[in-house]
Amino acid sequence: MARDLAIDLGTANTLVYMKGKGIVLNEPSVIAVNRQSGEVLATGHDAWDMIGRTPSYIVAVRPLRGGAITDFDITERMIRLLLQRVGVSRFTRPKVVICVPSAITEVERRAVTDATRRAGASDAQLIEQPMAAAIGANLPIDEPVGNMVIDIGGGTTETAVISLGGIVALEAIRVGSFDIDVAIQNYVRREHGVAIGERTAEEIKIQIGSAEPGPADRSADIRGRDLVTGLPKTVRLTAEEVRFAIDEPVAAMVLSVKRCLAKAPPELAQDFLARGMYLVGGGGMLRGLAQRIERETEVPVKMSPQPLEAVVLGAGHCIENYQALRGMFMGTRR
Amino acid sequence: MSFISGFFWVMAVISGSTLLTLVYLDHRKSRIDDGIAQFRRHIDALSPEARRNSVQRNNDERWGR
Repeated sequence: MARDLAIDLGTANTLVYMKGKGIVLNEPSVIAVNRQSGEVLATGHDAWDMIGRTPSYIVAVRPLRGGAITDFDITERMIRLLLQRVGVSRFTRPKVVICVPSAITEVERRAVTDATRRAGASDAQLIEQPMAAAIGANLPIDEPVGNMVIDIGGGTTETAVISLGGIVALEAIRVGSFDIDVAIQNYVRREHGVAIGERTAEEIKIQIGSAEPGPADRSADIRGRDLVTGLPKTVRLTAEEVRFAIDEPVAAMVLSVKRCLAKAPPELAQDFLARGMYLVGGGGMLRGLAQRIERETEVPVKMSPQPLEAVVLGAGHCIENYQALRGMFMGTRR
Repeated sequence: MSFISGFFWVMAVISGSTLLTLVYLDHRKSRIDDGIAQFRRHIDALSPEARRNSVQRNNDERWGR
């Protein structure tokens, strides 16, 4: 008998929680496919290493963008491989809870559940990422107080106010940490005339990217291809330049948090001043982002101790208490 | 129709409708109770005690506590 699973099918990373065991898999949401034969050549870390470095017959892709499935067939194969790797066979069909962005459309919702059922699940239920994140971050959402959670993922930024086990206010935009990488790529191309890949852009973001000026501002040498000569070229980028380059997506994230605050009922809004807001997701780890949100909203921001795992841990708790928490799943609310 | 059969007809209708009303009210009460119990189970499943077995256990293992 297969153990039931919770899957955080993120734009950047995929995490799997197995009932009674905890997190059993954590790897990039990337799959490498042979274009000619259609065979899957690698998934996860192996496929991530191939991005931008493959011969023409291999394509290494992220099948999710903005939290939505862009390639149904590839996503189904990726889920099937994930299930196989955690011990699901054609004879053992587990129940699966999948975390999805709250802004997902009905068509996208159907695509995720269909892909999961066809990949071998007996039942597929969806839960909104901010709700799962709040459970996983251990916020007291069972109490009648306002809990605010900001989940910044690879493709989405979702802010939710949760009280008494349900979402009170919600704001979601399809801007995430990949948009920060793209902004860096565009800036380097425009200002320095150099083309860089998405992995290099991500490395720059991690090394010197920040949303607020700080004492540790540094500069970094980056290598790319000169757009005029076509030859390899090294340029130096400062933290200030990167901050300028990423200001647009960062401002969009902060604005979405402000919009959610404005939607919150006044009784709950006063709780935020005392309790603060919780930041989860890989995108929330951008240097200075918590301080920037705090400065612009005048509400304290706290970082969850496990920002990358909070969502899957919350969904894992739902799979452990499947019957009691059924009402939380999308489409089954009473 | 004699007086006695008419009387029994009226009694049967009154008894039947009373029985139906009682069954409906009992069913309605149990549905209200179900809602309360369901909500209680939902909230209890989200309590820190309930999460100790899944979320906190994982965090403790991860951070070596």
